[in-house]
Amino acid sequence: MRDPGFMVQDQAHETAPDPRARDVEVQLTRAGLGVARRLGDRAGGLLFDRLLRILEARHPRAFAALGELPDARLLIDPVDAPAALLLRVGPTLALRVCDRSAEAEATVRGPCARLLDLLEGRIDGDALFFRRELSIEGDTALILALRNTLDGEEMDLFGDVAAAAGPLRHALPVARRNAGRALDLLATARRFAPPPLRWGMTMLERRLTGPRQGA
Amino acid sequence: MSSFELICPAGSPAALRAAVDAGADAVYLGFRDETNARNFPGLNFSRPELAEAIAYAHARSVQVFVAINTYPQAGNLAPWQRAVDDAARLKADAVILADLGLLAYAAEHHPELRLHLSVQASAANAEAIRLYREAFGVRRVVLPRVLTVPEIARLNAEVDVETEVFVFGGLCPMAEGRCSLSSYATGLSPNKQGVCSPASHVRYEPRGEALASRLGGFTINVFGAGEPAGYPTLCKGRFVPGGGTSSDPAYLFEEPTSLNALALLPELKAAKVCALKIEGRQRGKAYIAAVVAAYRRALDAFDRGLPVPALDLEAMVEGGAQTTGAYTRAWR
Ligand code: SF4
Repeated sequence: MRDPGFMVQDQAHETAPDPRARDVEVQLTRAGLGVARRLGDRAGGLLFDRLLRILEARHPRAFAALGELPDARLLIDPVDAPAALLLRVGPTLALRVCDRSAEAEATVRGPCARLLDLLEGRIDGDALFFRRELSIEGDTALILALRNTLDGEEMDLFGDVAAAAGPLRHALPVARRNAGRALDLLATARRFAPPPLRWGMTMLERRLTGPRQGA
Repeated sequence: MSSFELICPAGSPAALRAAVDAGADAVYLGFRDETNARNFPGLNFSRPELAEAIAYAHARSVQVFVAINTYPQAGNLAPWQRAVDDAARLKADAVILADLGLLAYAAEHHPELRLHLSVQASAANAEAIRLYREAFGVRRVVLPRVLTVPEIARLNAEVDVETEVFVFGGLCPMAEGRCSLSSYATGLSPNKQGVCSPASHVRYEPRGEALASRLGGFTINVFGAGEPAGYPTLCKGRFVPGGGTSSDPAYLFEEPTSLNALALLPELKAAKVCALKIEGRQRGKAYIAAVVAAYRRALDAFDRGLPVPALDLEAMVEGGAQTTGAYTRAWR
């Protein structure tokens, strides 16, 4: 869960998720990384290209700034997700799923939820680093440039993607508002499901999201 | 009327909106180049962004100050003069300058533009401040973080210029504008290039469970497992004295504590300080929103004569510890 002390006042963002909806989004992100890795380079690549185009349309300032950086690769490693991401900045901007051992000029490592909060500027990256929840290696200037660029935006990964998905954009705020209730229902359903089905659900979750820290 | 103006930092348009929404009276910021003392990659404002920022702030009765507070290089004055011209054209409420030549340029070409003297100018006595007032019409001085509160009170009694003091954020323990530690280690300095201990020269290296921070080839600190980490600012390094024979590294200049002068509000008011400044243009918008909101609450309570709520911000500051800095330094 996020430190309440570090949260930007959420009132400004009408569609900002409540903590439980956020938890779902973090799990979806981890699952998305697992799925992207299975899709392989070609299909996964197309998916990430599309994602970058969506974000670029909504955040032209940030993307112009990323394009002006010198050509370099940044490994973004959510330690509790099944795969990492390789972001190439500079004139040929690209995002790909990769192994956490991939070669890069700089690396940022931390829990998936923290990295997502950081991407959206909901949390103070310096404080995370001071507390050793986030670790960085390699080209510090590159990491700072990326952090500063993203922090200058009001990014909302799921909100941005939903907004590009036509009618779906109306569904997201509703889903976020009702996430808590939906999760309760799911938990109840799981409790009353016959054991084989329950195990099946757990196995499927594991395959999608990889091992969870502390689980 | 409130006792103090609250002056808040912004390194990006989003941080500016966060500061304005959280209760700043004025926001200070810089252009995206070497003309300001926080010239970090990905930070600061283009001209169109400044125009938008000023519109956003003015619509909410918040002022915008533009920091043009590095020292122009010989033979290359144009970027600094252009910065002053653009700040005036875009209707900034004040420019924060340090260089004598640039102050003269601004006073001559933009007599209507309000001039503030940057902390980088290190003006710490009445004679110096009077000179800036008489020669260039400087209306406010940001005092260096080396004075005690009684010294500030004496200064304010002697000069007819508003004073602004830092109350929260990272500390630069030397007299500002006069430190060459960063130049020594990296060739780049806050006074010329607008960066102290620049990120381009910073590396973090895991050493087992420990984490070493390095600057330009020098190890500045090694943080043990679980110990809060810090940025390798040279003056906040932990070193081994005696050519490396001692096994106990120690802070040589300053411990990496963060300034918080909230407890001194009554003294600062009695000393006739006009404005309180929060450091941190390099910090993210989540930090700005949290710190500005906390200070706003505290100042509002102070103005109403209520107990000032303590700030719960330890976890956000470097070193995780806070100090009232030189303001109460007993040995001075
Ligand atoms: S090294 Fe320390 S004292 Fe010198 S300019 Fe940097 S922060 Fe200030």
